[in-house]
Amino acid sequence: MNRFHYLLFLLLLNIGMVFGQEQKSLTGQVVDEAGNPVQGATISLSNSPEKFSSNAAGQFTLRYTAGATMTVNSVGHVEFTQTLTEQTTLTVRLQTSSEELEQVVVVGYGTQRKGETTGSVASVKSESFNQGAVIDAGQLIQGKVAGLRITTPSGNPNATTQINLRGLNSIQGAVNPLVIIDGVPGEFNSVAPEDIESVDVMKDGSAAAIYGTRATGGVIFITTKQNRSTDGRTSIEYNNYASLQTLFRVPDLLTADDYRRLITEGKPYEDLGHSTNWIDEVTQNPFSHNHNLTLFGGNSRTNFTGSVNYRDWDGILLKSGQERLNVRADLNHDMFDGKLRTRMQVISNTISSKQGGSSDYMWRQAMIRNPTDRIFNDQGKWQESNAYMYDNPLGMIHETVNDRMFRETRLNGSLDYRPTNDLSFKALFSRVQDNDLTGTSTSFDHVNTTKNNLNGTASRWTQAGVENLMELTANYNKQIGDHRIVGLAGYSWQRNMFENFNAYNFNFPTDEYSYNKLEAGRALQNGLATMASYKQESTLIGYFARANYSYKEKYLLMASIRREGSSTFGENNKWGNFPAVSVGWDMAKEDFMANQNIINQWKWRAGYGVTGTIAASPYNSQISYNYTLTEGAYINGAWVPGFVPARNFNPDLRWERKNELNVGADFSLFNNRVTGALDYYSRQVKDLLYMFQVPVPPYLTSSMFLNAGEMSNSGFEALVNVDAVNKERFKWRTTLVFSTNKNKLRNLSNDRFGVTQEFFDAGYTGEPIQTFTHRVQVGRSIGDFFVYKTVGVDEDGKWLIESQEGDVIPIQDATVEDRQYYGNGIPDFNLGWNNSFQYGNVDMTLNWRGSFGHQILNMSRMYYENPVNPAYNALRTAYDPVYGQTLNNDLVYVSHYIENGDFLKLDNVTIGYTFNKQLIKGIKSLRIYVSGLNLVTITGYKGLDPEATSYEGEFQFAPGIENRDRYPTTRTYTAGLNVRF
Amino acid sequence: MQKFKSSSIALWGLVLGSMAVTPSCTDLHEQVYSEVLGNTVNPTERDLPFILAPTYASFRSLMFGWQGYFDLQEESADHIITPVRPNGWDDAGTYRRMHQHTWNTEQWQPYNTWNQAYATITKVNMVIMQIEEGTLPLPEEVGLTALAELRATRAMAYYLLLDNHGNVPIVTDYRDASLPEPKTRQQLYDFVVKELTEALPNLSTDVRSMYGRINVWAARALLAKVYLNAQVYIGTAQWEKVISETDAIIQSNEYRLDDIYSAVFSHTNQSSPEIIFAVPYDEVYGQGNQIHMKTLDPLSRLVYGMAAGPWGGNCAVPQFIDSYDTDDSRLYDSWIQGPQLNATTGAVVIDYVKNVPGIGGDGVIAPANTGYRIGKYKVKQGATSNLDNDYPMFRYADILMMKAEALLRTGRADEAAVLVSQVRARAFKEHPEKATVTGAQLLQGSNYNYGIQSVDGTVNATNGGADIQYGRFLDELGWEFTAEARRRQDIIRFGVFQTKSWFNHRPHANAQSRTLFPIPNAEISKNPNLKQNPGY
Repeated sequence: MNRFHYLLFLLLLNIGMVFGQEQKSLTGQVVDEAGNPVQGATISLSNSPEKFSSNAAGQFTLRYTAGATMTVNSVGHVEFTQTLTEQTTLTVRLQTSSEELEQVVVVGYGTQRKGETTGSVASVKSESFNQGAVIDAGQLIQGKVAGLRITTPSGNPNATTQINLRGLNSIQGAVNPLVIIDGVPGEFNSVAPEDIESVDVMKDGSAAAIYGTRATGGVIFITTKQNRSTDGRTSIEYNNYASLQTLFRVPDLLTADDYRRLITEGKPYEDLGHSTNWIDEVTQNPFSHNHNLTLFGGNSRTNFTGSVNYRDWDGILLKSGQERLNVRADLNHDMFDGKLRTRMQVISNTISSKQGGSSDYMWRQAMIRNPTDRIFNDQGKWQESNAYMYDNPLGMIHETVNDRMFRETRLNGSLDYRPTNDLSFKALFSRVQDNDLTGTSTSFDHVNTTKNNLNGTASRWTQAGVENLMELTANYNKQIGDHRIVGLAGYSWQRNMFENFNAYNFNFPTDEYSYNKLEAGRALQNGLATMASYKQESTLIGYFARANYSYKEKYLLMASIRREGSSTFGENNKWGNFPAVSVGWDMAKEDFMANQNIINQWKWRAGYGVTGTIAASPYNSQISYNYTLTEGAYINGAWVPGFVPARNFNPDLRWERKNELNVGADFSLFNNRVTGALDYYSRQVKDLLYMFQVPVPPYLTSSMFLNAGEMSNSGFEALVNVDAVNKERFKWRTTLVFSTNKNKLRNLSNDRFGVTQEFFDAGYTGEPIQTFTHRVQVGRSIGDFFVYKTVGVDEDGKWLIESQEGDVIPIQDATVEDRQYYGNGIPDFNLGWNNSFQYGNVDMTLNWRGSFGHQILNMSRMYYENPVNPAYNALRTAYDPVYGQTLNNDLVYVSHYIENGDFLKLDNVTIGYTFNKQLIKGIKSLRIYVSGLNLVTITGYKGLDPEATSYEGEFQFAPGIENRDRYPTTRTYTAGLNVRF
Repeated sequence: MQKFKSSSIALWGLVLGSMAVTPSCTDLHEQVYSEVLGNTVNPTERDLPFILAPTYASFRSLMFGWQGYFDLQEESADHIITPVRPNGWDDAGTYRRMHQHTWNTEQWQPYNTWNQAYATITKVNMVIMQIEEGTLPLPEEVGLTALAELRATRAMAYYLLLDNHGNVPIVTDYRDASLPEPKTRQQLYDFVVKELTEALPNLSTDVRSMYGRINVWAARALLAKVYLNAQVYIGTAQWEKVISETDAIIQSNEYRLDDIYSAVFSHTNQSSPEIIFAVPYDEVYGQGNQIHMKTLDPLSRLVYGMAAGPWGGNCAVPQFIDSYDTDDSRLYDSWIQGPQLNATTGAVVIDYVKNVPGIGGDGVIAPANTGYRIGKYKVKQGATSNLDNDYPMFRYADILMMKAEALLRTGRADEAAVLVSQVRARAFKEHPEKATVTGAQLLQGSNYNYGIQSVDGTVNATNGGADIQYGRFLDELGWEFTAEARRRQDIIRFGVFQTKSWFNHRPHANAQSRTLFPIPNAEISKNPNLKQNPGY
């Protein structure tokens, strides 16, 4: 409150000062180049907080003090400024601007004016970012880039967003986009979201091909905030926010009262005499806070940006959370009359995670636990029972320690030498090193000991990585008359080293050590402790060149090539060539368009490019062996390890390639009030790297890493920005983002090994159903569910399913041949609708996001919406009739639990208030805001959150499963402050 | 200034150019840290144990592995079932399909046996190639013995395929990566017999040092086993050959019946004089014997002070338990039954009752304590999830019983009865008068009350065992060898598999086709040369 009083005091002081001066009045009119009045232009004065607006006739009046600078702004026009001295009338003639077109976007190894780009690139600036408690850079741009699907399937503060560009384009290689942070590869969480200035996305193959083998998933450039002023400006920004979370939806389970009622109805539940809401018991009301302090300083030759970020987030599950410190220093210096520019950047990232026993499996225990049971037994210990896979979730949480400390240091420096205005040479050196250290332990009161007699367990796990990068580039940029030529040539060398170590021990004399004295456990002496270590190294070398040609910015041409080699491929297949070409034509610049004023720009684009995918792990092309105990045997009276081939050998492993055609248009209409882009893409991925199923015999094991098969993706993307209302007091800018994707697996075969495969199965239901969920079939899309299709329930409560002949048969008579394709877990199209409003000093954003045309396997219903097992708790809907009958069937995987997953979310609402500039001396700007994330979902889906489905890891081929074991998603409310000094 | 410019351009050009030609900047050699590169390996005789070990290693996961050979032989037969329990064990009906012979071409149990058998075969082929090509140089004598052992090991893997899958490819050359053609069951039989016969002269005759490996006696036991089932495999009986192989082992005097039946299966059974070939397991070095984890209820961990929580699944078919003479000590050595006591407090933790209401799938859930549990492989105090108990694949009692069966089937019932009585003796130490059987008894039918069991335990649709030829001898095999991963083979030989009902099992509509498992569908899709077995 003190701070508020202080602000108020300063405010009054300022007002007093303003009123102390002599005022003149001015009447003016704002017109455009053609002399037509401009409505809604904003007129502001340098020494007054007041803002004025032009009326329908373009007219305005104001009072000013002599010497004030008047600034006139209107969308689609260049800013107009004039110093007012004695004027009483004034006509302001605004120049049409193509600011949208002048915008600079980041492309590989350089920047380009948006008007000149020929590839499909998207750029999101910080003012358009999602606000509030965003978890990483991905969430900043969620729903803002057409074709980029970003999801947050978990509410765990230690989780990250999942990202996918233009569908699934690889089945075994790396599939995530390449993230480049200030020129250096990194991750979405390598920098704090608050430190990011802009995020640029290269979507199509012709643009991305300059990054060759890592670019199949697209390239995302993160540019951090830097001091860009040259006038010696020094400023400090401070941002903070605090947030609260609630469960997005609370599962509706049977309560203790429900149990007792059902027991009186004759259901075989056990009343243990207590009442416990296990979901309540394992969750908390998490409070999180986040601070960001950024300093900008310097002069025309040297400038400095430094920032400190600190966040302390609690998770919705007990004893889960994350604390993160992120420090960044960026130093730029010009020498030799600006010919040599140097840059040094250091980013340090320290994350400590608390995870405790709040595992995904703990959530299952909270779901299934008998609500009439109690937390503690009479001895004050955790109440446990002896059922299989049935543990007290609170015991799991409180008796488990799971601490993780991740430290990353990103060092990079560059020299940029410009001997002439046209030519520059740049050398970039970077080292990214990280250390990850985890310690886990379970105490004597954990079920590991109380049930399994392990007497305390403890483990440590550590890994370290170093990535060294050197890039040398030469740029040439020449304007000759109407011709503009840009050339780039470069060399890139990157080496990654990764190593890890872990050790596990148990049978401790005390649980006081936690994981800090592993040697005290006696399982080591009994031969039952485990340890492992591993190290790998890979090198990637690339040569690249690119040429751009532009004639009057009307005809545009780009051609590039990257020749790249990776150590992970076979001796004869290390190198690959990745060419690209694209053309552009700005139709609006043609003479025949000169007489219209609707279309300011209509640039057609077409591009074709080849990118590659590297094997996800090294060694796959090696002929190598291992000694292992699992292949060991009892030979000559002693146990010896066995010496076996590490894999089925394939020294011919080579690049996976993606060929992509992209056709699109960038447009700008109605004085640039409507801008956007349309794109159609068609991708063919060949030589898919795949853990192929090979026949046994003749092969040793049933899988082998091969180049096999072909997959295609195609889709349409649209982005439309509209300055819908642009009045003095009220502005509304709305953006619509739309994208579709169609995926098809064309074949899975390898000629050299003479093998072909029609399908493979993916996904897993878990115990006790224990079957796969999806089938990936040649000729179909990734993500198809493969399941018995339920059509009814008979009088005995047994499922009736549709047989392969189309007959209705009881599920007991079903054979595997009766399973069929039923729905797909990947959305057909995604929608984003982002709105920003400004009313006076109040700003508001409303972002909607939706996915449509996909199905979700609701695993919670599959396991818990069935009264068959009274040993586990169930959803309250378990006793609802299904097809008019009460279900009395074993748990099975059937189509009944696959639901339409369409949803529309009000994902981010932010309301902010910006205080007037002169409010407090020394404060350049001050804004406060409140924000909500994941607020409202409109969906017919019955699960907890239709977005809580993962697309990565084990779910890559089994998308669209809302897993029963999970960290639940949350709704977040945030209040924050941005202040600049 | 201009000069400075061009010279710096030249400098940069030089830097870039030199990058292109400097080897270190184009070097893509892969440095391998955590694997042993093939071109650095120069094995010698000293490395032989490490190289031979993998050819035996697959037998561990094969025999007692998850949905492995044990389940394949026992759950398709009339001794052991895995009913649906309160804590699960429906597993998409896989155990029910095993019990009711409705397994499909994607069934994992037969596929696991296929995979492990061929893994053994391919590993053997690789080592044979190394020896023959000289990349594993061995002294001649050592090489001959090793080759004989390798061929016999491979023959054992092929025997498993012969017994279970029938018509499968024979691959003997590691270098040949072409898609192999399937052979007939007759060809497979001929191959196994030929390989074993040729290996015999060079196989080791040593007993102790060859524990867990195939010596000449193990190879003869395997030959006897193949001959014993020749009628099933090729339609021609080979009883005399059974007798000659078993006689060779008996007359060697290398093996004898253990005095104590349970010692043959204990966690120290490597010292049992009865075992001819075992798959050794160890809780640390040779993990994989998890038979107790699958059979015991989670509460039984308190009985054995286990450092693991068992999963509570399979148990005995009640009708089989009823076939025992209650004075037969093997009933108690083979099955865990009745109240189980906490090792420290003495309190009853669970009481295993004989009756099991049903296999499940129809809403019937077998309570956690129903069904006697497999107790043959005694769980030691403080056991982990991996037992030390070795799996005796061939043991002396089996040699005697194989010979007895050949005698019985060739009209020498009284001679057979002597051998059977010899095996029975240790099971009736308290009642020696019951140990002896007569030839006439062995010619009788079975004591097993075949028929469908109701939820309450009564047996309906009884078709009994009286009509089974040599049924009493089959009962003897059951009592002696239950839970030894072989019942399926025995009841096929006696025709029970194809004709009888037990528990919730009725004879399959196409019963004869079920005596072979399907060729795994996944393998047919990878190798179009393969042909599915008839009836699938």
